[in-house]
Amino acid sequence: MPPSTAASESPSPTKSSPPPRRSAWSGAIEYAGMLIVLFGLVLIFSSLSDRFLHWRTLTTIANQVPDLTVIAVGMTFVLIVGGIDLSVGSILALSSVVLGVAMVDGQWPLWGAVAACLLTGTLCGMANGMISVWASIPSFIVTLGMLEIARGGAYMVANSQTKFIGSAVEQVATPLPGLQLSTTFLIAVAVVLFGQWLLSRTLFGRYCVAIGTNTEAVRMSGINDRPYRIIVFSLLGLLCGLGGWMQTARLATADPNAAVGLELSAIAAAVIGGTSLMGGRGSVINTFFGVLIIAVLQTGLAQVGASEPIKRMITGGVIILAVLLDAWRNQFYRSLPGLLNRLRSRKNSTVTDS
Amino acid sequence: MIEADRLHKIQKVVFNIKKHFLLVGCVIGMMQMVGCTAPSADQSQGTEGPRIALVMKSLANEFFSTMAEGAKNHQKTSEKPYQLLVNGIKDERDLSRQVALVEEMIAQGVDAIVIAPADSKALVPVLRRATEAGIIVVNIDNKLDDEVLKSSELTIPFVGPDNRKGARLVGDYLAEQLSEGDPVAVLEGIRTSFNGQQRRLGFEEAMEAAGMKIVDSQSAQWEMSQANVIASAMLSEHPDLTAILASNDSMALGALAAVKAAGRADKVKIVGFDNISAVQQAIRDGQILATADQHGDQLAVFGIEYALDLLAENEETPVDRETPVDLITAEVLKQ
Repeated sequence: MPPSTAASESPSPTKSSPPPRRSAWSGAIEYAGMLIVLFGLVLIFSSLSDRFLHWRTLTTIANQVPDLTVIAVGMTFVLIVGGIDLSVGSILALSSVVLGVAMVDGQWPLWGAVAACLLTGTLCGMANGMISVWASIPSFIVTLGMLEIARGGAYMVANSQTKFIGSAVEQVATPLPGLQLSTTFLIAVAVVLFGQWLLSRTLFGRYCVAIGTNTEAVRMSGINDRPYRIIVFSLLGLLCGLGGWMQTARLATADPNAAVGLELSAIAAAVIGGTSLMGGRGSVINTFFGVLIIAVLQTGLAQVGASEPIKRMITGGVIILAVLLDAWRNQFYRSLPGLLNRLRSRKNSTVTDS
Repeated sequence: MIEADRLHKIQKVVFNIKKHFLLVGCVIGMMQMVGCTAPSADQSQGTEGPRIALVMKSLANEFFSTMAEGAKNHQKTSEKPYQLLVNGIKDERDLSRQVALVEEMIAQGVDAIVIAPADSKALVPVLRRATEAGIIVVNIDNKLDDEVLKSSELTIPFVGPDNRKGARLVGDYLAEQLSEGDPVAVLEGIRTSFNGQQRRLGFEEAMEAAGMKIVDSQSAQWEMSQANVIASAMLSEHPDLTAILASNDSMALGALAAVKAAGRADKVKIVGFDNISAVQQAIRDGQILATADQHGDQLAVFGIEYALDLLAENEETPVDRETPVDLITAEVLKQ
């Protein structure tokens, strides 16, 4: 996929390097589309249900998103380098049952089980990355294979049984007194901030964007893109393990059927946040907004008691709406310099006229 | 010069894309073949007696895998010898694959088919073909739709528990612990599934009889994490909620996590259905109040025994046979 992006897309300056006229208020515009949709949803649900706009409801939503959040952050990086990972749900389930089996059947201490869980995720992600990079097979196919392997592994490890762990694992997901937010949510926010820093402030992040924009050019400038792509997939694997731990902690249960279809939610969150499926463009913070939009929708629709068909149709509609708003924002943003120039020249001409 | 270079590049890209699509196609095709035929190639057991095919839903699901295990054990110890072929589909919603499985069984010329239909309507036509081929068909787990059976002039006996009665048992036990007029909520299964409908009806009957108020009832698709989201929303919307009735145990576990996260574990009671091992622990700990056991490991066995009876005396008109459902509470588990 990466070579096609390189050839089909003209090297427009707005893609990877921001136009020079970026100022303080551009930060607001960057997130404007997302914020409009998010606040719009909150407003609509608050008007439909008296109890939606409560601290309790908002913290409930916050405590439900950590697993999807960390995985969507990793997915954003994978999409940015021009890859895709369809196996995240299966890897989450596998890591989660490794955690569950270690604690219930193996009587392992929590830290040991969590380490095994994170390691499982990382190894799966690393396998995805290595196979697709070294054998030059599209990640779509490799991760499609991993989707089956890891799900089968989850059933095998758990013997197709749901493992109830109970209070031993719950600590990290229970709301802290005072704020009512859980430790997992705080970890997820930290992951988002770290991810955004990694993407926009480090060499690693710039290389990721460059690889996704034009792999050939990166190679020609003497940089080996392979380690970066492998690292990005491994990172997503690690985050799947982390998400597996978070979900297991939240539900106090490890379930081999968990997170079926999670890959679509994670990709949707990233795409709602303006990440390009062709690679080279994305923002971690915007992905987080994407996750919040999905979560607010889910909870809001359940709280107003919408029927199943309506839930699905509205969710689909909002995804399209969010991406549309983002596209319009980009168009507006790209035409802005021209618009300003025209205004200025008109001003100048009026000055000379008088 | 530049044009030629670009042309070359584009050609390369097109070639690459073509290559990739071919690869994608091959891999997807292969995966589908492997994914679907692997479970259907499950070993047959025994060498003598009538051949009975057990056609299940997903064998990856704990409920159906224990059911299949029960059947295999029964085959080994049964007094009447028979051969057993166990088949399952990969995904519970993969109707077409289950229809194909039944067709394969007809082609193999088995004597009887014991089936847990993935859909209560869509499987009827193929089962009609099986009956016409002289194969005895017994329906377990998910009851085939009466209307559709009638319109295709077919009688297929159902051997299984009364889910409505089971849900009523659980609901009645819950009602004893509540006081009249208490608000409760129901987590339903997939709305098109017969079991899901029966369990909901059973819960509703029990709550109505005891004068409780059902303030919310939504489907969580049998799934734990969806149940967690929906139960959380129900708890926010109804601060005075006293109980959640979940139509299966996975959803009960999801609701349990929601109740704990909301800090209302002592105020909201939870019941489930199925008696899976994970829930037994939660019942012992007093976190979930009750569930119903429909003896999952025996469900296929009941069906097979009935098929054997029918094979032995062919003239008998098949009638439905009801199997037991028991209430499971902390006291029952202590014994």
